[in-house]
Amino acid sequence: MPDGLELGKKRKPARKAAPRKANGAGSDRIVAVLRAFSVGQYGDRLDLDDFPDPGLREVAKAVNATADHVEAEIREARQRIDVVSAGVDEAIEAMVRLVIQGDLSGTLRLGVADAALTPLIAGVGQVMETLKKFVTEIREAALQLSTSSAEVLAAATQNESSTSAQASAIHETTATMEELKGASHQIAENAQMVAGIAEQTLSGARQGEGAIKAFMSSMEKVRHNAVEVDDAIAKLSKRVERIGTVVEVIDEIADRSDLLALNAALEGAKAGEAGRGFSIVAAEMRRLAENVMESTKEIKNLITEIREATHAAKEASDGNKRMAAEGEKLGGNAMTSVSGILSGIQETSDAARVIHLATQQQRTATEQVVQSMSEIEEVTRHAQSGSKQATGAAAELTKLAERLADLVKRFKLD
Amino acid sequence: MTWQTTEILMFQVGPRVFAASVHDAVRIGSVRDVPAGALVVGSALGMPFDRERGIAVDDPDGAGLMLVVDAVLGIRSIPEEDVLPLPAFAAACMASGAVAGLVHVDGAPLLLVDLPTLVSERPGATPTQRAA
Repeated sequence: MPDGLELGKKRKPARKAAPRKANGAGSDRIVAVLRAFSVGQYGDRLDLDDFPDPGLREVAKAVNATADHVEAEIREARQRIDVVSAGVDEAIEAMVRLVIQGDLSGTLRLGVADAALTPLIAGVGQVMETLKKFVTEIREAALQLSTSSAEVLAAATQNESSTSAQASAIHETTATMEELKGASHQIAENAQMVAGIAEQTLSGARQGEGAIKAFMSSMEKVRHNAVEVDDAIAKLSKRVERIGTVVEVIDEIADRSDLLALNAALEGAKAGEAGRGFSIVAAEMRRLAENVMESTKEIKNLITEIREATHAAKEASDGNKRMAAEGEKLGGNAMTSVSGILSGIQETSDAARVIHLATQQQRTATEQVVQSMSEIEEVTRHAQSGSKQATGAAAELTKLAERLADLVKRFKLD
Repeated sequence: MTWQTTEILMFQVGPRVFAASVHDAVRIGSVRDVPAGALVVGSALGMPFDRERGIAVDDPDGAGLMLVVDAVLGIRSIPEEDVLPLPAFAAACMASGAVAGLVHVDGAPLLLVDLPTLVSERPGATPTQRAA
């Protein structure tokens, strides 16, 4: 309501005017009052006595009645405003109180009743319903949040534990891989050493193979020489036999000569002095025959020695042939063995080389794995730190959820 | 001064050397040229070793026997004083009558053998041959 309204304040009637002039003054008076109405001043009234003219008097009456009616309306409006304001204040106070106390179980009851407050009451009720709904949802959400945060905390704790165990396992794995890297390095060196030894052994075995070939060649030469010696011995034996035969003939002749000389000497001795010269010649002949027989005896002895030596040489030659054949056989066996050894050593050398390469690759792969494990360990360490932070955050979140639940519990819904 | 000498034939039977008069020996020969029945292998002188030299003996029966010896060493001419008769005691002790005496050759005594008597004492000889 405009502040310029003036209600219940009776103003003195407007001044009376002269008759002729009285009509004109009355009109002016009416105009002045109406102008005051127009600015919200309804306190002035017209004095009907000032309007002798009946027409103006009726107008003055109507003006006064209008002013009265307006003032009554204004007064009534002001009363309603006061009632509504009191209801609004009461509603606000009730809402504030409800919010502070958190009691949303009841409904808003106002001490004043006015139709104008109905929308307010309805709006407040709707707000309360909305608040109830919100609180209910918040409570459920808080409960769910508490449950979820507890689960998150448990999961985070378990995750932290798992991450710690994982970090420990990764650390152990890294250490094991480090050891494996060292072992791979050692294996690679050993394999290289084995390959070197195998190469040396291979070289030695090849030299042995060459030596065996030379030995077998020598054995073949020995056997060939033994055969030649055998042939030579056979020829020598034939020559010796021939010499023996000749010597036998010579011996026989000498024996016959000896007999002849003996008989000549015998006859010379029987002849006495006449046969002495004959006996001397016979004795000389016999001496010659005996010399020949002595020589043939020596020759026979020599032939016997030659036979024995030839026989020994023949046996030695046969032994040489047997030994050469045995040597060739043994050489062949040794050659077969050495060939097998060479093949085995070659395979060993190849295998050692392959192992060396494989272990080098394994060492490289292991180093890469170690590098990757170090990176994983670093990542895991970060993850472990993050997991701890997540666990802390989850614990904090749980506390917040509990606090939120406690706060929400303040609101009474039923 | 004239020295009287005796011609002896020296031969060996087994390990021992014996002497005999050259007149008792017909000839010296080889046992291979003589039939086995005419050979006198074993005698009072012993058994020869291996040399199959033989001395053909002028035996009383004219059988042409040959004494098998190991060697005929030769003919030696020795002084007669070196030819000694066998002592009576020695002759009595000896079972054979073929030893005629002793002869010194180069300072060593040798039995002087009577070859005809020796071959007549061979095993299988008739008593007449032995007595002769």
